Amino acid sequence: MGKPKILDLILRNLFSKPATIEYPKKETVIEPDARGRHYADLNKCIGCSLCSIECPADAIKMTPIPSEYEPPKRNPRKIFPVINYLRCVYCYRCISVCPTNAYVSTNEYRLATTKTVFSDMLSLSTLPKKSG
Amino acid sequence: MAVTKVVEIPYTLEIPVGPQHPALHEPLLLKVYADGEEVVKVEVYTGYNHRGIEKLAEKNSFYRNIFIVGRVCGICNNVHANCYVRALEQILGIEPNNRAKYLRVLAMELERIHSHMLINAVMAEMIGFESLFMNIMLDRERIMKAKEILTGNRVVGDYMMVGGVRRDINDEKRDKLIKILDKTEERIKYYKNVFMEDDTILKRLVDVGILTKTDVVKYAIIGPPARASGVKIDARASDKYDAYGEIPFNVITRKEGDVWARMILRWDEALESINMCKYILEKLPSDGNPVPDEKRLPRRFPPCEAFTRVEAPRGELTYYVMSDGKPMPYRVKIRTPSVNNILNTAHVYLGHTIADIPVILASWDPCISCMERVTVLDLITGERKRIHLKELARRREKWVNPRYSI
Repeated sequence: MGKPKILDLILRNLFSKPATIEYPKKETVIEPDARGRHYADLNKCIGCSLCSIECPADAIKMTPIPSEYEPPKRNPRKIFPVINYLRCVYCYRCISVCPTNAYVSTNEYRLATTKTVFSDMLSLSTLPKKSG
Repeated sequence: MAVTKVVEIPYTLEIPVGPQHPALHEPLLLKVYADGEEVVKVEVYTGYNHRGIEKLAEKNSFYRNIFIVGRVCGICNNVHANCYVRALEQILGIEPNNRAKYLRVLAMELERIHSHMLINAVMAEMIGFESLFMNIMLDRERIMKAKEILTGNRVVGDYMMVGGVRRDINDEKRDKLIKILDKTEERIKYYKNVFMEDDTILKRLVDVGILTKTDVVKYAIIGPPARASGVKIDARASDKYDAYGEIPFNVITRKEGDVWARMILRWDEALESINMCKYILEKLPSDGNPVPDEKRLPRRFPPCEAFTRVEAPRGELTYYVMSDGKPMPYRVKIRTPSVNNILNTAHVYLGHTIADIPVILASWDPCISCMERVTVLDLITGERKRIHLKELARRREKWVNPRYSI
C-alpha cells in the first residue's frame, strides 16, 4: 500500500496557520450587503401592514405606537411593524415589498441575544419622544 | 413418532441503521438483516421528517410560497425556488430577461458545486478519512462565500423572484466570483486526483454497490447515480430551461456504475459547473435590469396549472402548481429525486458487508427532508397503508377532522 495521496497536504497544513476563524477574538469577514438584522424606520413607515401580510414566516406583527412617542402624521393608524427575530428567516421580502422603502437593513449577523428578540426598540429609537 | 424432517432457520442479525445519523446527519432508518457480515435484506423506513410543506403551500399565498419551498431542502434551495418560480411565470405568462436567466443559472450551478463537494467530503468521512473531509469542507467554504456575494446569504439564497432575480451583481462582485472560482477549480482537480489514485479510497469504493444500467431504467433512478451507470439523463440538456440552452456544457456519464464512479462523476460535474459559471460571468448579457419591482408584480393568478422540472444536484426535481383563481394555490405537488433514489435501491446493498452500508447510502446523496410522504395509520385497528392522492381527496371527510387539516 502506497503512501496516502494527501500526505503532502496534511504535512503542509501542520505548519500553516489554522484555517478556523477564532470567532469571538476575531470578527468573521462578512459581505456589506449580506442579509442581517433589519428594522423599520418609523419616520418613513405609513403603517400599511403589507410587510406583515407578505411575511412567509409570520414574523411581523403590527403594534400600536406607545403613547410616549410622537407618531408621525403620515402614519394615520399609528401602528408599526415589530419583527420577531427568532421567527424571522431573513428573506428580506418585507424590505422589497415596502411601498415607502422604510426598512433599514444591516449586515449584523450576531443574533444570539436575550435582549433584542423583537425589533420594537430599534424601530422606536428612530422616533422622537413626546416633550413634557 | 420418529423425526422425519428438520427445518433449519438461518440466524440473521437485525441491525437498525438510523434513524439518528445513519451515515448522514439526516433521519432515515435502514433495517439491515445480516447473515454474519453479509447483508441479506435491507428495508428502508422513512417518515421521521415529514413537515407537511405541500399542505403549508396550499395555505399561503403564491408569493409567500417562494420562500417556503426554498426551505424544503437546505442545500438545493435555489433549485426548488427556481422550479416553483418558473411554474408561476408559466401561469402568469411572464418571461424574465436574459441577464436574469444567466444569474439564475449561476446561482444554481454554485449550489451544484457545493452540494457535490459536500457529499464527496461526507463520503471521505464515511470511509474514515477525516483529514480529507476537513480539507474538502475548507475549500467548500469558498463556494459558500461566492453564494454570499451573489445572493446575500451563504446557504439559503432566496434569490429567485417571479420575473427575474432579487439581486444584481456589479463588476467588483464579478471579479471576486471569478477569483474564487479559479481557486476552487484548482482544488477540485486536486481532490478528483486524490479520489482517482488514493489506495484507501479505491479499496473502499471500487466495485461496491454496483447499479447496472438495466436497474437504472427499471427502477427509474435519476441524477448522478443514473449517469454513473451510463444512462444519459439530464433535465438541463433535455429541457434547456432558463439560460441552459445558450451556455455550453457536457452531460457527463460513466460506465462503471459503482460507488467510486458516482463520486468521480460528481467531481467531473463540479468542474463542468465551474466552467459554466465562468462562461456566465464572462458573457453576462446586459439587456436590462434583472431585478423586478416586487411591488408591481401581478397579484391575481388566473385559473391555470403548470408543470416544471429542473436538474437539482441530486437529479430531476419537478413541481406541479395549480391555481384556481384564488390568492392561494389549489395544489403544489413536489416530486424530488431522493424519493426514487433511496426507496428503489434497497437491492444494491445485498451481498455487501455491514461496513459498506454507509458508503452505499452516502453514494446516493440522499436528501431526507425532500422525500417524506404521507401514510395513513388507522389508530383503532392499527392498519397502516400508503394511499394515492386521488383516494385521499375522495375520502378526506372520513379521515380528516373537519376542524383541522392533516
